[in-house]
Amino acid sequence: MNRYLKLFHMEVHRFRWMLAILMGITAACQISALIWTLTKELYRRREPVPQDIGNTFQVSAPEQLTFEWAMANNQLLFILPILICISVLALYIFFIWYRDWIGRHTFIYRLLVLPTARRNLYLAKISAFLLFVFGFVSFQLVLMPILNVIFKLIVPADQRADSHIVDAISRNLALVELIPRQFEQFLYYYGMGTIAVLAIFTAILLERSYRRLGILYGVLYLSGCVLAVMSPSLLFDSRHPYLYPNELYAAELIMFVFVLCISVWLGIRLLAKKITV
Amino acid sequence: MIEVKDIRKRYRRRDVLNGVSFTAAKGEITCLIGVNGAGKSTILKAIMGLTPISGGSIHIDEQSLRPQLYEKIAFVPDHLTMPSGMKLSEAIKFMADFYDSWNNARARELMQFFRLNYSDKIGSLSKGTAAKFNLLLGLGQDSDYLLMDEPFSGIDLFSREAIANVFTSDLIEGRGVLLTTHEIGELEHLIDKAVLLQDGKVSRAFNCEEMRYEEGKSVIDVMREVYRA
Amino acid sequence: MNTSEGSTEVTFNNRDPVYLQVVRHFKERIATGQLSAGQVIPSRRELGALMKINPNTVQKAYKEMEEQQLIITEGNSPSRITNDTELLNQIRSELLGEAVSAFVASVRKIDVPIEELLQLVRSKYQEGGPEHD
Repeated sequence: MNRYLKLFHMEVHRFRWMLAILMGITAACQISALIWTLTKELYRRREPVPQDIGNTFQVSAPEQLTFEWAMANNQLLFILPILICISVLALYIFFIWYRDWIGRHTFIYRLLVLPTARRNLYLAKISAFLLFVFGFVSFQLVLMPILNVIFKLIVPADQRADSHIVDAISRNLALVELIPRQFEQFLYYYGMGTIAVLAIFTAILLERSYRRLGILYGVLYLSGCVLAVMSPSLLFDSRHPYLYPNELYAAELIMFVFVLCISVWLGIRLLAKKITV
Repeated sequence: MIEVKDIRKRYRRRDVLNGVSFTAAKGEITCLIGVNGAGKSTILKAIMGLTPISGGSIHIDEQSLRPQLYEKIAFVPDHLTMPSGMKLSEAIKFMADFYDSWNNARARELMQFFRLNYSDKIGSLSKGTAAKFNLLLGLGQDSDYLLMDEPFSGIDLFSREAIANVFTSDLIEGRGVLLTTHEIGELEHLIDKAVLLQDGKVSRAFNCEEMRYEEGKSVIDVMREVYRA
Repeated sequence: MNTSEGSTEVTFNNRDPVYLQVVRHFKERIATGQLSAGQVIPSRRELGALMKINPNTVQKAYKEMEEQQLIITEGNSPSRITNDTELLNQIRSELLGEAVSAFVASVRKIDVPIEELLQLVRSKYQEGGPEHD
């Protein structure tokens, strides 16, 4: 346990700068986008000029400006940093493993001869990765009230109306996906995401264990996982309703848990018995 | 005692190890000798669990491999295996964090002996300096066994001398040392036992002093017989 | 390491057991008076480091010398050269005897008259000085 925590700490420590940079980009983009939109709108109100044609898909401003309106009116610069973060994290699913094998100083030699069960290495990597993901989501959540404060500072009180942050989130195409309104939905999204990451981890470990042949195994494994979770809806489609919807739902859930367990078990086993440096 | 029994390994359709057996006793320096590609490194990696074997068994003091044993066996690979961005001080901290058998006083002594700088980055070390630090990471553990992969290859003369001095010092006294080399060079008078590998098998294994006493042959003489034939 | 003067300049050959070469080295130093009766000799580890050889080999050499009663080790105190002067004197004649018999054995093949040989040996020995092997 102790060594697991140390490994976990090390994994977080190794990504700290990237984490800081990504959060910085997100904050900078979103804050400057908000300020820019608001000052432009306030400027337009003071000196009314005919609306130019390029801006047709801009949501026309209401009498009283709301935070919700500012969010709805600012899709691209809010989505962009989120997409950057998502892609960096997606790449890091691979890099979190491969970085230990590449370069002049292959750290994996050291990691594998540490006097601790190798599952700790696996658990450290997955938990660090999940921490990064939830770290971003919570950072985005924390950023929202800050943005709201900035909104209130810029827009004079007589020109604004209050709006709820939850509504503001739901007006942005990316944020509404990132932070779903229902908790259940949140669990589904991130649960499925976690299972996908674990399945990819196992595919990576297959490649690291069997090298060229392992690529094939990895691809087959991932296809198998996709097939497994799709199987209930493929087998029992709506034309042959053998199952009630809640039974279908249960079958899906079982398949997800199945893929989760197989991935973790196989991943840890490969790391303990089959991995090669 | 490290006991390697009939280990086999196939890699890329080639039998790299084809039934290798030997022992390396505590308190002795055992040297695995073979040309490049003879499977010397693979044997060390197999002992450390860094690569799976397809047959045979490996025991250390009659126990089979498990992570707790890595407190007892230190491994010095043929290259430094710490992240390039780490400082030497951080690498030492890492070792102290993870190994109960880490001996910080000895590490400090060795830092001085090898004239290394705590604030240097791993990535900025020259080859010879990296080899010394690599050795330090192995010797810093109070381990019963020490495995070294080609400790002398590709480094400058003075680093070689510094490393050779380690072999005759109290740093390895009482430990079982298993090292690999493709040229015997300065090791001739340092090793107790030689294990010659050829075609994935042990072709000769002997005690060097006995070989000199009984047959009047040096390790190099035996190597000539084996590899020229 | 106060006992180390001069003892590092040894080149070992690869074919004779190293421990026997170490023993011989000690005998030579006793014979020439560089080591005297009762003198403390380096520890096994010190000598291993000085001569750049395996400490186990030094251990073996010391054991051999103990068996020949050249050195004595009491308890935990450092080993020292024996005080048995008779034994020490024997070493000189032993080494000399060995060298001469080896020399004679190889010269005998050439079948040279003894007077001529002695004459030759005398002149070589005087002109050669310390330049011998």
